[in-house]
Formats: sequence, C-alpha cells, structure tokens
Amino acid sequence: MTTWSRGIVLFQLVLMCTLAVVKAAPIASGTEGYKSQVKPFFKTHCVKCHGPTRSKGKITMHSLNGDLSSGQELEKWESILNMLEFGEMPPIDEPQPTKGDVQAVINWIESGMRDYVNQAGTRHAEQTTRRLTNVEYQNTLGDLIGFELDVIEDLSKDPVKPYEFNNSAELMRIGPEQIDRYLEVARRAMASVIVDPGEPEVHKTRKEWPKHGLYRGLAWDEIGVYGNSRHTAAHGLGLKSFPNTGDFRIRIKTSAILPPGYDQVPLRLIMGNDIQINSSTRQVREVGVVNLSNSPDEPKIIEFTGRIENFPALPGRVVNGTRQPDRMSITPQNIWNNGSLNDRYSYGNLRNIDLPRVVLSWVEFESPITDVWPPAHHTAILFESPLRESDPDAYIRAVLKRFMTRAYRRSVSRDEVELFARVYNLVKPELQTIEAATRETLSMVLVSPQFLYHTESDPAMDAHYAIASRLSYFLWTSMPDDELLDLAARQKLDDPTVIEQQVLRLLADERSEDFVRNFTIQWLSLQKMKTVPINRDLFPRFLYYVPAGERAGTEMPYLPTVRDYMIQETVRFVGEMIRRNASALSIIDSDFAMLNQRLAAHYGVEGVSGVDLRPVQIKPEHNLGGLLTHGSVLIGNGTGTAPHPIYRAVWLREAILGDDVPEPPAEVPALSDSAGESAEQALTIAQLLARHRTVESCNDCHFRLDPWGIPFENYNAVGQYQPKVPKEGTRVSVFQKAKHTDMNGYQDYLASINTVEIPADARVPHGPKIDGLQELKAYLLIDRQDDIVENVVRRLLSYSIGRELNYRDRFAVAKLVEEMRASNHGMRDIIVSICKSDLFKNASPRKED
Amino acid sequence: MAKKSWHLSRRDLLKGAGVALSLPYLNAMHGSHAIANTVEEETPKRMMVGYIAYGTYMPDGPSGATNQGNSDKPHHDWSWWPCKDAGDLTFNKSSEPFRELKDYVTYLRGLDHKGGWKMGGHSSGDVFATGADMTETEKTNNISIDQIAANMHGHKTRYSSLVLGTEGGTGSYGSSKTLSHRGPGRPIPSMHKPQEIFNRLFNPYAGKGVEQVRAGLKREASILDLLMDHSRSFHNRLGNEDKQKMDEYLESVRAIEQRVERTSQWTHEPLPNVDTKGLNLEVAHKDAQEYIRCMYDLVYLAFVTDSTRYATLMLESEQSSTSEMWNYATYVLGYKGATHDIAHKRPADYSGQWDRWRAEQHAYFLKRLRDTPEGEGNMLDNTVVLWGSAHPHASHSTRNYPIHLAGGNRLGFRHGRLHEFIGDSKVPLANLFVSMLNAVDVPVEKFADSTGNLSQLMMG
Repeated sequence: MTTWSRGIVLFQLVLMCTLAVVKAAPIASGTEGYKSQVKPFFKTHCVKCHGPTRSKGKITMHSLNGDLSSGQELEKWESILNMLEFGEMPPIDEPQPTKGDVQAVINWIESGMRDYVNQAGTRHAEQTTRRLTNVEYQNTLGDLIGFELDVIEDLSKDPVKPYEFNNSAELMRIGPEQIDRYLEVARRAMASVIVDPGEPEVHKTRKEWPKHGLYRGLAWDEIGVYGNSRHTAAHGLGLKSFPNTGDFRIRIKTSAILPPGYDQVPLRLIMGNDIQINSSTRQVREVGVVNLSNSPDEPKIIEFTGRIENFPALPGRVVNGTRQPDRMSITPQNIWNNGSLNDRYSYGNLRNIDLPRVVLSWVEFESPITDVWPPAHHTAILFESPLRESDPDAYIRAVLKRFMTRAYRRSVSRDEVELFARVYNLVKPELQTIEAATRETLSMVLVSPQFLYHTESDPAMDAHYAIASRLSYFLWTSMPDDELLDLAARQKLDDPTVIEQQVLRLLADERSEDFVRNFTIQWLSLQKMKTVPINRDLFPRFLYYVPAGERAGTEMPYLPTVRDYMIQETVRFVGEMIRRNASALSIIDSDFAMLNQRLAAHYGVEGVSGVDLRPVQIKPEHNLGGLLTHGSVLIGNGTGTAPHPIYRAVWLREAILGDDVPEPPAEVPALSDSAGESAEQALTIAQLLARHRTVESCNDCHFRLDPWGIPFENYNAVGQYQPKVPKEGTRVSVFQKAKHTDMNGYQDYLASINTVEIPADARVPHGPKIDGLQELKAYLLIDRQDDIVENVVRRLLSYSIGRELNYRDRFAVAKLVEEMRASNHGMRDIIVSICKSDLFKNASPRKED
Repeated sequence: MAKKSWHLSRRDLLKGAGVALSLPYLNAMHGSHAIANTVEEETPKRMMVGYIAYGTYMPDGPSGATNQGNSDKPHHDWSWWPCKDAGDLTFNKSSEPFRELKDYVTYLRGLDHKGGWKMGGHSSGDVFATGADMTETEKTNNISIDQIAANMHGHKTRYSSLVLGTEGGTGSYGSSKTLSHRGPGRPIPSMHKPQEIFNRLFNPYAGKGVEQVRAGLKREASILDLLMDHSRSFHNRLGNEDKQKMDEYLESVRAIEQRVERTSQWTHEPLPNVDTKGLNLEVAHKDAQEYIRCMYDLVYLAFVTDSTRYATLMLESEQSSTSEMWNYATYVLGYKGATHDIAHKRPADYSGQWDRWRAEQHAYFLKRLRDTPEGEGNMLDNTVVLWGSAHPHASHSTRNYPIHLAGGNRLGFRHGRLHEFIGDSKVPLANLFVSMLNAVDVPVEKFADSTGNLSQLMMG
C-alpha cells in the first residue's frame, strides 16, 4: 500500500467513527468538587513544576481559587484547560493520570466556566471600536469615491504580529501622525474625485514598432522571454506628457508567435519609472496581464484602463535650477515562465526564438478619458440639480448628506450634516469655488472618527447597519455596498436567511479576494517567506538573477517571481476551499493544488501551462496536497539553505493546531544551528536539536516542539520534496551552468550530490512515532481533527469580529464546531454559520444606560 | 550605468582621509547663516539614540558582562568591546572605525533596563529608549528619553523631534519598529522613506507660498475645533471600553491643533534651503550601505539646520523577518543566511565583520558631526549620541547591553574610556539616561528605574 492510499483509508476511518467519548465520573460542582478532587489532582500531577517552588511556563497551580463563579483567574483556568485538552501535560516522563480522571477535571472546569459566563451574561464589554486597517481604509476610500486609489504607501505602516490578525483594537491605534496622513490622503483623493469646471487637456502618446529590423532573430515589434534589444517594443514607450490625475486608457495591438508545442504567451504591461536592470529601486506597477494565443495574422486590439495617480512617476531632475517634468514609461513584458529561464547564458539569447514571443505593433496612451465629462465620480458627489443655482445652501446639504451616509456607513442625522455645512461655510469664502470648498469639506468628513473607525458600538448606528458593516468588512475588507445598506435601512439584516444570501453574494464577488488574501497571509504568517535569503549555490535555479552588469547575481527585479506565485498559491488555495465549500480539513490534505506553469515546474507536476493559477488534480507521487507542502510555508519556515524543524514545528502548532507557542524565553541560549554556513553542515539541524534537547532548560519546550517539525525534513528549503540530501561532512561539487545545461542536466547534478536519505521520523508527544509528512498528515486528520477544525473556526471568528477570542467565547466556539461536524466542516458553511451566530451579531456591545 | 554622484563624493571623502566636506548639501551661504544665528542665540544641545538589533559579537563573554575565565587570553580581535578591561580605550578590528574618534566615545559594560529582563528573547528592543517595565506595570510601554527632552525644549525648533527607523510604523508590542513613545500606548510611528523624510523636514509647504500656508492653517484650526466638538459627542455615546479607544483619537486631534498653531508660528521663520544634490533619496534597502547612510545624513541635516534637536533612529529591529532588513548581512557581506542567524550562530568570520560594518556607518555619522564646526567647537561636541542593542552576544539574553556613547563633550561628557558596571557596581541603564537628559538641560532626577546618574562620565 502506498503512503498515499494509506492516508485516504485513514481519512475515511475518521469520517466513520464518531468521537471516542472517554468515560469520566463527574466531580461535584463548585468549591466542594475543587477541594475533594480537582485540587488533589493538581497536587499529584501539576504542582511539582507549577507550584511554589517552580513555575514553569509562568503557571502556578497551588494557589488557585477553586471558585470559578467569582470570575477570577479565568484566563488562567482556560490555559490549564487547553493544556489538558491538548494532551501535553503532564509531560510523558511523569506519572500519567487516567484519561477518565483528566476528562473529569476538564468537565469540572468547563462547567464552572460555563456557569460563570451564563450568569455574567454580556456584562463584559469587549473593545471593538478601532480604526480601519490600512487595507480597509484604502478599499473603503475606493468604494466611496468610485475608483481605486493606492494610498497604503502614504499611511503609517500597520503593525504585523505573527499568527495574529491586525484588525484588533489593541493593534489599530491612532496618533497625530496618522491623522496627519489621513488628512493628506483625503485631500489628495478629493483633488482626484472632484474636477474643475471646463474641459481638461487630454494627453496622448502613441508609438509603433516596425516588423523588420531583425536582431538575433527578433523583429522590432517582438518581445522574447528575455526581452529584446534597445528601441524595440520590449523597451516600451516614454509618455510625452501625462496629467496628475485622471482615468487613463492604454490600447495595444498585439499577437503571439508560438513555436510548436506552446499554446499561449502572457503579456504584462507595467507603468511607472523606466526600468533599468542596473537599478533595483525604480518604482513600477502592473497595468494588467493578458494571455495571447492569436497569431500575427489575426492581431487583437486590447484595452487597459486605470488611474494615472496610482502609477509612480520618476521625479524630474533639477537642471540648472529648473525642474524638468516628471517622467513615466509603459513597459511590456513577456512573462512566460517554466522555471528554466535562469539559463540565459547556457542557451544564449537565441533561446528567445525557441520560446513563445509577444508581438506588439503599437501602443496608445490617453488620459484623462473624457468620454463622459465631468466624470461619473464627480457627478456622484456634485450631482446635477436645479437646487445648485436656486438654493445653494440646500444643495450643499443634499451633497453632504448623500456623501456622509456612505462615508459613515449609516444614515446621518440633521445635526451631523449641519456640522459639515458649517465647515463648508467656513471655507467657502476663501476657497471661492463650490468645487474647492466641497473638496476641503469632504476631506474633513474623511478624518472624522465615524469614517476612520469601526463604529458599530456607537448607538447612533442602528443594529442592522452594524451588521451590514460587519459583514462587508469581514468578507470584502471594505464598506457595505448599496444592497447591504438598503437591507439595513429596511431592517432585514437580523433574518438568518437574508444573512446567508448576503454572505454567499459577498463571497461570490471579486471584492472577497482581499478577505481571503488578508486572512490567509496573516493566519499563516506567510509574509516572511519573501525575505528569506535563498542559498544560490544549493538552489541555483530557484530565483532568477541579473546575468551581468553592476547588479549581476542579484535577483531579477520588476518581474513576478516564483515567490509571488507561491503566496498566490496559498491564498488561492484557501479561496478555492471556500468556493468549493471543501472541508476545513483540506488544509491538511487535498486532491488538488493551485498551480500555474512556474509552480508546476517547481513541484514537478506536468501538463500545466500559462501564468494563471488554477486547481490541478494531483497524484500521490507529487507529494503535495493541503497547506503543509506549500512553498510559501516551507520557505518561510526554513533558512533558505536548509529546512528548519523548529520554525516548521512552531508554524504547525500555531497556524494549524491553534496552539500558543511561547517566544524563546530570555536567558535561554539560542540553538546554535549551522544553517547558512555551508551546504554540508546545513543538514545537521536535527542532530543539533537532539543535542539541544539534552539541556534541561531547552528540553522543556523542545521536547514538545521538535517532533512536529522533523516530519517536514523531506521538504527542502525551497519547498520541494527532497528525500535525499548530501552526505554529512562531504563537500558538494558546485553547480556548473556549462556542464549541467538543461533541466535533465540539473536533475543529474542534484542526484549526484544528494545521496543520503534524510531521517524524518519523530515521536509525537503522547502520540505515535511518525515518519515523514504523509504520516504526519494522516495522524493529524485522525487524532487532531477536532483541534484543527476548532482552530479554523476560531481564526475565522476572530478575524470576523476584530478581536482575540477569550474564555468567554469558548462555548460559542464549541457550538459552531458542533454545527460544523454535521456539515462535514465545509469552509463556506463555517463562514455562513459565523455570520449567523449571536457572537457575530452582538460583537459590538452598546453602552448600557 | 553611470556612477551616481553620491558614489563619487563618498569616494572623494575617503580619499581625503578625514578631510571631509563640511556642508556638501547645504546652500553654503544659508548654512553658515543658520549656524551663526543659532550660536548667537543659544548653542543647540542635541541628543540622538540609535538602535542595532540582535546584540553583538562577544566571544569572550557571551553574557555581555565579563571576560572572566579568559584572563590569560588576549582580547579578541573581533569582540564588539574595543578592549578587554575597563579604563583607557584601545581599539580592535571590530571597533577600528571609532579609533580616530577616541576622545569622543565611551563604551559602557553591564548596563541594561530591568523592565526588559522578562521580555522574550526577541522583544526587549521595545524598551531600549524607554526603560519601561513592560512585563509588569507598564504593559503598553512608556515615554522615551527623546520625548522627555522634546516636551521641554521641542518648541525651540521647527520640529520637536525626529523619529526614524528602517522599517517604518510603530510595530506592535514585543516587536516595535520605533524607539520613540509619547507615553503609555502612544508609540510614534517611525519614518523610513528618505524622500518622504526629506520633504517633511525641508519642504513642508509642498511648494505653496507662506501666505497661502498660513491661511490654510488658520482655516484648518477652525475646522478642527468643530471636529473636536463633533467627536466628543460621539465619544460620550460610547461604553467605557470604547471610550478609551476614542481618547486616542481626541488626543491626536488635539495634538494636531497645537501643531497647527506651532506650524503657523514657524511660517514666520524662513525654511532652511537644503539642496538634494548628492543625496540619493530614492535609495532602497537593496543598497544597504547607501540607505543607512542616507538615514544618518537626514538626521545630520535635521541637526545642522537646527530643524530639531532630538532624533531616534531604529537602525534594525529584532522582529524583521518580513522586511529587507532580514537580508542586510547578505547585501553587505555576502552572508548566506538571514541577519538574525548571525546572532544565533555567531559565526566567527561574519559576526565581527557585521559589527564592524555597523560601526563604520555609525562612525560615518559621528564624523560628519565632528567635522562640522559650531560655536567654539563642532557639532559633535554639542550632540550626545547613544548607540547600542538590548541584547549582548547571547542572543536571547536581555541583560548587559552593548552600550556606546559618543559626543556631547561640551555638554559635560568626558570620553575615551571603557566603564564597567558589574557586580556591586551594577546600576540601571536609566542612570545614564538621567545624565544624558541633564546634559541637554532637562533637569530630571529620575528616569524609569534609575537610582541616580552616571557622574563618573561627566567632567569633574
């Protein structure tokens, strides 16, 4: 039986058997039971390490007050509860209590806690008023004004905390610096939204490339995977002039030259600074990507649109005291990528001809677009109305009311409108025009707390509007749209059927991509994978490097990289789970992976072409499935040279099992792993760990930590399955481009250095011996199923209500987990249930009068 | 690609062996004018705090406190400590960049903040400039040394303080990205983009005329008044928990109101005319050395124009795995690992070189100050600069920081020695903070857990 089919069988077993219920004789509730049974249990099993003489993990249990109804120390009780449930304590080398005894204590704590929570009711107010995150702010602003505006770079950076969501009151703070930025951004946005009267000057640039002028086989209008020479289409065009603000339209005439065996080529347009290979600091932004399969006999005309202010211009230099105009360029790129493009020089530029090429006949740029003038985003605010002339006061109040209702995400009172009418009257005399005065007034609306904060606990926000906002910020990372606001106005948002419909609608909308992206990246702490320094000697093909010049050997800038695709892989995987309503357990194993051609080449999956990621059926021999095998996870939790069992263990316990792994304590010596110094020593971390564990102070944590990371050892530092490694103590021969010319040669090279099977077996604390990731997955799916599902529920719930969960939420979580069991843990069902839950509905406590 | 002018001037500077360009970025006329003015009125007394992460290389005494047990061995060439014993400074390979600054630098061994002892092995950088007891009584941190000075004398300059970092923002508790805090729960976001910092410092009106700016500020003040009333009523509607949150907002708006007034007053003073020539403000992390020096240059420019007198610069942070700072040792030394790994592995070759690289950048800044005449001496004489980390060699340790103090000779500091505060002589790092504050005319007697001051550093 292959490991794979064993996994499947075990998986089915899980579905068949209901949870084993451990028989536990009940303990009398309250202090009586505490004195008679719970305290003696602690005394026998816990107090030796968690008592007056020692307090490991900063937990002491001898002085606990056994009266849970007093509401004291419940956080501590919860961590004890978690420890017992997780089955980690007491440590395996101590005398073990019977399962029944443990369960009885668990039940006793839970019931005491439940009594307290029920009796205390909603008296506990959680802090939920908090400012928007930068992503929420940018999306809200964009939805409010009617077009996307990049502003995140202009705001103070949001804090990031590993494995935590940053949309909590604790992390979303405001200081004068932020208000400053908000005001600047608001003014800039308003300058874009409201245009001055009269027709604007339209800026146009056009460039055409001839078919002739062959250079190494490429005509001037062609773009190969390595670009083309100067003055060709590959170098794009500089804009003669462009406005500071406005919509732009780029039209191109394009086609593809596809050698036999290739079916498409992706063309990407970027705009911003002109790019130079000798500088990595030029700023550019993607305009769009289009997949081409039409031959040059059937050229296509394709149109891209966007906002010019989102693209970085190169500031004009000061020459002889005068500042030259800012510059902006459009650069087309052929981003076809099968993972072999680092071999530029072994193939020579001639490889351009063997691989798909883009033909770009001409490019036209135009901005602003005056098809409709003034533009819709302008008239949405300063709308046409006879009032404008006849009763300017009434008109401006109507303008304000319309804008503020959306900015505040609720209906606004007459007083609120009146306040900003006063602001308007204050600025009008000086700013003179209605346009300028409106800009300034609305900028002020955008720095009022009702816009900047989640204000669902403000009694001025009706409960239905509060739900509308909570739904949209959860699933769109932005403000509610008209449909949600309309349902709120009609008081429909306490109807579970309506909520379910809305959740499904919101999830189906592309705006939910930001939810999936934010949630996934923070949940799994993925961002760090982008900065892990990859050992180029060991993985010469993984990244693409600048081949020559001042920056030779540094990573090729301005192109989407395999690391970008890996982040997408993980984000899209979670998105696909939601779309399919796949079981939450798919995070452990799945029969599909989200891949494009570059990723497929990396993981050794055949038959995937193109840059778009899509679900691909995978086979056992691919050693993929679930999240645990994702490059983003494995690289982020490695050293770039070797796997790192501790990082990976921490990741598994934090992100997947929902366990809180403490930071390495102060005054504990660091694990002196040798990764990074040389290829051969890099592979001895497991042994070093073994040595580390012999020190008692290290052993306490590492004994419980390391076994979770060692089964990942078969996956290398760039996230590929690699069961063999170089023999310890031998020097590996260096990869030679000239000798190992193609992919086969590269495989031969790898086979020649990787000769020893790396051990990946460990005994899980209180669990079985596990060898490799496949067995770890099988174990997780059976023995840790509850932990995993509960963790997914907790993460989603915590993200949705914008705060960390605590012991008071325990029973609401348990109820949700129970509900989920009935529906096979469907990911979308979980989201729907969360949105229907009381916890979500009442997430923002109101002031009690 | 043509070499940047920046490269050329740096090379020229090096060739000149210490004969540095005095004010290469300043409009010479105006620069000297500004300095002459301030000297006439009052010589500015300045303070700067810089932070490096993950501790430093101390192979002879990983605890950061002692060389005991190695008494026969000569001092390690690559130890961060320049010499073995307390007393007159001699320099090794690691500290070489400070050799020519001997009369301006002091090393202090055995100092730390008690408040950071129990913080995780990667978190005590949070309290480097605050000394707050973050695990017990001051969980949301507390006011930093620069802000205490700014509260007292900040009104004398256009900006009360300058808060810079290499990663930007505030970070979160346990992984701060800024050294400066206004008070509990009030971190000040650090700025990390050179162009933006430059514009905020020297081009705050964004090309508008002064009259226009003044009118705008006046308008803004009236609007903010209205906004405050509006927000207060919202505040009062909230429950207690959320009220606390809104206090942050109200305080911020209030601070802006005050700042508007202050900015308005400062419009009556001409802006310094600072030329960007030779400054590469678009530099990014991948040009590590150029970037770090640019940040130091911006502090220098802010000081030399007397735009502010207090600056913090978080050069590195412990929790930088999502930032390019993670790769700095790779960029500057070709180290094949994360910068953080140097702290964990302490490889013999790279550790010392990494420390030395950091020392070179810091020495570059100190020399720029020293080479700029001011009053009867130079700028470094009037600027006290603290530089160090909240960890020693043992990377998870939170005691016995490597501490380096420079400048302020005319503020009373006496340099050229290594001081040891070990065993019975151990005192809190906050004692040094008291001395630093006193030196810049902030007459405090206590800071955080201080038990006095460090009079032994001062002129008798």
